[in-house]
Amino acid sequence: MFELFIGNKCFSSWSLRPWLALKHHGIPFAEKFVRLRQPDTAARLQEVSPSGRVPVLHHDGRRIWDTLAILEYLAELCPEKKVWPEDRVARAMARSVSAEMHSSFADVRNEWAMNLRRPKSHKPLSDSGRKQAARIEQIWRDCRVQHGAGGPFLFGGFTAADAMYAPVVTRFDTYGGELAPDIRSYVDAVLALPAMKEWYAAAAAETYPEPYPDE
Amino acid sequence: MSTLHLIIGNKNYSSWSLRPWLAMTMAGLPFRETVIPLYAPDTKAAIAEHSGAGRVPVLHHGKMVIWDSLAILEYLAETFPEKKLWPAGKTARAAARSVANEMHSGFSALRNACPMNIRRPPKPVPLADPVKADIARVETIWRECRKKFGKGGPFLFGKFSIADAMYAPVASRFSTYLLATGDDTRAYVTTILGTSAFKPWQEAAMKESWIIPADEVD
Repeated sequence: MFELFIGNKCFSSWSLRPWLALKHHGIPFAEKFVRLRQPDTAARLQEVSPSGRVPVLHHDGRRIWDTLAILEYLAELCPEKKVWPEDRVARAMARSVSAEMHSSFADVRNEWAMNLRRPKSHKPLSDSGRKQAARIEQIWRDCRVQHGAGGPFLFGGFTAADAMYAPVVTRFDTYGGELAPDIRSYVDAVLALPAMKEWYAAAAAETYPEPYPDE
Repeated sequence: MSTLHLIIGNKNYSSWSLRPWLAMTMAGLPFRETVIPLYAPDTKAAIAEHSGAGRVPVLHHGKMVIWDSLAILEYLAETFPEKKLWPAGKTARAAARSVANEMHSGFSALRNACPMNIRRPPKPVPLADPVKADIARVETIWRECRKKFGKGGPFLFGKFSIADAMYAPVASRFSTYLLATGDDTRAYVTTILGTSAFKPWQEAAMKESWIIPADEVD
């Protein structure tokens, strides 16, 4: 049995990634919630997560942490779900863009903090944030043009690469204002996933004050 | 099989480059190497010739282009399974991926305060609290891995694996800025710096004359 520990759905972008992959692929799991930014958050996380962070997956006596490690673990354990693209060239690119997401784009992430309750309106980015957003758009375009023929996602069907970029998709939707048509259609494809809608609905139903409106 | 061609930055400073280079060398995979000095006037153009992402390291293998250290390492593990770049046991492999990924997305306080600078003579620097916290977490990771999985050798999972490649630049920083607080973590640093692959990297770094002022911490 899989147990996935996650934070608040409204703003925990790292939590969204493995949750979305599990849900989308229909892998049954128990969802465990640790409310973030509380006096006891650190103590609660220490009990379940070796890194003291969410997300963390418990399975078969193992604890797997960090979103990308969790996704690789699922890919290995459930090969029939095709978590990564099947084609070798596509899979190498999917891993490259996922790893780039994993280690980059700090300004976009900070300036456009994921906040699913925030009303949609354009928020300008700093120069470095703009460059990073442009790089993200270029990645989406390159993947779609080179490998996206079989569907609306980066590599046609939904893969770990889409899970990795899903929180960024919400940021483009929330803060991006008017998007280029190809970017808009990719954003819409991700937002239309039943699993994404379920996550948004749960985020909207959260009654916690955090994150605050000015964040 | 097509040739592996790894494009990297300065050996003295480019911590991301060291990771795949070390893993490939430890695994005995033959590869061609191109070094591009970073922060030079023509750096951007030189990298753009090899990498759409505009960054090093990037690996070319036939018509495949793979970038980002961790993606390169996953690609090598998948393409050359006989090299056992990840630990063979499922539990050990899950742990190795977790700590490798934690390295990949974390420890920015430590990385910024103590840039990799192989030829800098070892000397401590004042450490802010977030840097100390990063050091403590790195030492915990090394200890836990060694304790649970390290029986078969001196590395995190016994034999050398991608997890060691990911932490090798951190081991270099530990040595340069004298960061280890325990004998066991100091021993692990010595193990990494003593590998047959780290030595030639270090020698090449010492011979480089390029200076990146931002990475020179007194």
